[in-house]
Amino acid sequence: MIQLKDVSYVRLSSPDLESAESFATTCLGLQIAERGRKALYLRSDERAHTLCYSEGDPRDQAVGFEVEDEASLQNAASTLESLGHAVHAGTIEEAEQRKVKAFIGFRDPTGNHIELVLRPERSGRRYFASRDAGITGFSHIGLNSTDPVRDEKFWTQVCNARVSDRIGDIPLMRVNAIHHTIALVRAPHAGIQHINHQVETNDDVLRSYYFLNQRRVPIVFGPGRHPTSGARFLYFRGPNGMIFEYSVGVDEVEDEATHRPRQFGFEPASFCMWGSKPAGMALSNS
Amino acid sequence: MKGRTPLVTSVSYVRLRVSEPGAGARFVSDLFGLQRVDDQDGELSFRSDDRFRTVSLSRSSNEGASVGIEVWDEAALEEIGARLRERGFAVRAADGLECRRRYVHSALLAEDASRNRVDLITRPQRSGRRYFPPRDAGIVQFHSVGLRSTDHVRDLAFWRALGAEVSDWVGDIAYLRIDGLHHRIALYPSQRNGLLYAAFEVESLDQIMQNSYFMQENQVKIIQGPGRQSASRQIFLHIEGPDGLIFSYVNGMAEVGDKPWLARQFPLTATSLCNWGSESKDVPELSAPG
Repeated sequence: MIQLKDVSYVRLSSPDLESAESFATTCLGLQIAERGRKALYLRSDERAHTLCYSEGDPRDQAVGFEVEDEASLQNAASTLESLGHAVHAGTIEEAEQRKVKAFIGFRDPTGNHIELVLRPERSGRRYFASRDAGITGFSHIGLNSTDPVRDEKFWTQVCNARVSDRIGDIPLMRVNAIHHTIALVRAPHAGIQHINHQVETNDDVLRSYYFLNQRRVPIVFGPGRHPTSGARFLYFRGPNGMIFEYSVGVDEVEDEATHRPRQFGFEPASFCMWGSKPAGMALSNS
Repeated sequence: MKGRTPLVTSVSYVRLRVSEPGAGARFVSDLFGLQRVDDQDGELSFRSDDRFRTVSLSRSSNEGASVGIEVWDEAALEEIGARLRERGFAVRAADGLECRRRYVHSALLAEDASRNRVDLITRPQRSGRRYFPPRDAGIVQFHSVGLRSTDHVRDLAFWRALGAEVSDWVGDIAYLRIDGLHHRIALYPSQRNGLLYAAFEVESLDQIMQNSYFMQENQVKIIQGPGRQSASRQIFLHIEGPDGLIFSYVNGMAEVGDKPWLARQFPLTATSLCNWGSESKDVPELSAPG
C-alpha cells in the first residue's frame, strides 16, 4: 500500500504569470518564495513552497504527496506499475524544480496528475504573508473524479487514504488525523477542483469575504460551514478559473481505529449548515 | 461598585410603536424568531428568554415607546429618582395602570435629554414556562439596546446618574456598561431621538450566519453585517424590522469585569465600527463619514 503522509504542493500552469502573481499576493495573500522567468514559487507555511505556477497551459496541473522514504517511493512505483499505471521517474532537474529530493509521477484512474515526493524542502525563515489573510498553511485539495466510487477504491485500497465522511457518493478522505486531505468532486474530466488554505480564525474568513468582495473577486460559495468537517469556509475564484478556499476549524479524527464514516445526503445542507449556496461552483452527485 | 449593590441591573424590555402591529408581529415572531405571549390593551408582547416579555408592539397613537431598565430595589429607585431630579431630568412615578402595562411592580418614568423614554422598573415579571421560540433562530436572551442621542453630553449624564460607565468610545458613540459586560446600552449621536436597535444574543456565530442566510432567502433587508464590533468584539447582524426599527442578533461580547477600566477612544471610521469590513449604507448612526 502506498503510504501518503501529507499533501505537499500543487503545481499549476498559466499563460500569464503576472496575473497569477498579482492574485496570489494581493488577493490570496501568499508569500513569494522565488520568482523565475518561467515559474513562480509561493509559500503558505513553513515549507519552502506549497504552490508553483509555471508558464503553460492551465490544464497542466499536478498535486504532490509526501511519502516516508526512498523505499516507500520505490515500492509505490512498483505497485502502480503492476496495476498498469505508467510511472514517470522524476529527473534530477525536475526534482529541483519541485524542491524535493526525488519523486515519481503517475495518473490516478480519472487522469489527475499525481506526484509522490521525497523530502520536500522546508524553509528556515518563517512564513511572512503578503497580506494579512491569516493563512496558516496549505491543507487540502478538491480533486475531480469521473467516477467517485472507483476513485475512492484507488485512494483507499492502493493508497492509505481513509474515508472520514461521505456526501452522497462523494468521499472526504484523510491521510493523517486531519478530517480530509483529498475531497473528491464529481466532474466530467480530470483537474484540481479547489485548493485549500487554512486561516487562523473565523474573523479571517469573514474579513476576507468583505475584502475579496470589495475587489470584485468572485465568491463562489460561502461564507459557510461544512457540517462534515466543522470548518468555516469561503470559496473564491482565481486566475484561469481555479477555485481557492480559506477555512478554519477542520476537525481532527480522534480515534483512527473506531472512526466510522458518516453518510450525509447529497443536498445543500450537507455542504453548508449556515445556508449558503454554491454560485458558480458545480457540486454534482451523478 | 465593589461591596455595594448596583443601582440598575439589566435592560429589561423595549416597548415599540409601529404603524401596523399585526404586520410587525409577523416579522418579530415568524422572521426574527421571538415567542408571542400576550395581547393586552392592543400591546402585543414577545418573549426572548425567561422573562415574561422583552418586546412589545403597539400602535403609534398610544403612549410613547420606551426602554425598560431593571432597578435593584425600591431604595435604588428612590436614589435614582433623586439623582435625576437633581440633574434636571423629568421623572415621575408610574401609576397602577402604567405598571400593569409594563408587567412590573413599580416604575419611575423618565426621559433623557434627547427625550428618549426610559422606564426604571422594579420586579419585572418572569415566566415559569421555559422560552419556546417559533423557529430555530438560536436566541438566548434580550441583550442590549442602541439609542439615538441628540444631546450626547447630557444623555451621558443621564446614564451616569443611573450608575452606567463608558467602556469605550467610537468617535462620540458611547458604549455604556451596567454589569460585567462591555456594554448593554450604546448611545449614538444622531439628528433625532429613538431606539436605534434592540439586540438579542444568539448561541454562537453559527446562528448569526444562519440567520443572515435566512433573512436573505426571505428578502428581509440586512442593515449591516455579519460583522464584528472592534471595541466590544461582539459579532452582530442588524436586520430591518417594521417602520425601520432595527432588530439585531449578537454574540460574543467581551467582558470587562469589575477591574478598573479606562475607556478607550476609537476613531469614527468603518474599521472601528466593524473590523470584518461590513458597512451600513442607509443608517447614518451606524456609518462612518467618508
